[in-house]
Amino acid sequence: MTPLSTAQFERSQSVDPITPLAPEVSRDAVRFPNGLPGFEACRSFVLMHSEALGPLQCLKAVDGPEASFLVIDPRRVLPEYRCELSEADRHRLGAINEATLLWLVLVTIELDGTITANLRAPVVINPDRMIGQQVVPYHCVYPIRHVIAEGE
Amino acid sequence: MLVFTRRRRETIMIGDGISIEVLRIGRDGVRLGVVAPPDVAVHRKEIYDQIREANQKAASAPRDLGAVAERLKKHA
Repeated sequence: MTPLSTAQFERSQSVDPITPLAPEVSRDAVRFPNGLPGFEACRSFVLMHSEALGPLQCLKAVDGPEASFLVIDPRRVLPEYRCELSEADRHRLGAINEATLLWLVLVTIELDGTITANLRAPVVINPDRMIGQQVVPYHCVYPIRHVIAEGE
Repeated sequence: MLVFTRRRRETIMIGDGISIEVLRIGRDGVRLGVVAPPDVAVHRKEIYDQIREANQKAASAPRDLGAVAERLKKHA
């Protein structure tokens, strides 16, 4: 599995150059103190979007091994999506006000073109502290592989 | 690997901040209580492995991002 590099991102056809998201989110990298499962050495990410990417955004590792992920607001996928953060997760995110937290889920494009979202383990970012974490809520009814669009 | 025999209500300490207590021993499983500092993530390994595998799949490059985005606009 090859991580999606910025170069590949910029080479892909019909996609505008990636422009930063809202300045308050992208000015600095978001710190992920534990990395992401499988990418434990990636401790710092920037969130990028582009007009052509539509509802997708790109979570790209900086200052570490190369890795980038397509992410989407889970409520774009499932309007009633809701997960409960554990006390420990809230502490790790330094979250005082849960309303300001940014929730994203990782999107996978499978070989046959099926687009899925991992609703089981959302990425939660606290923009006030610029800390992020992929959480695995203990009581969570959502699947790791939620199909958004079937492949052709 | 360190191997311990523990009975119900007995605990294992790891370092000075992590403890694992045997709460209940049933026919189908052992119920454990874990106390750890808030910065230590505790996971069930099989779930963590599934998430790791899903993340590795998610990190592979799509062929045409523009087309993916177009399809998503219809679905999300």
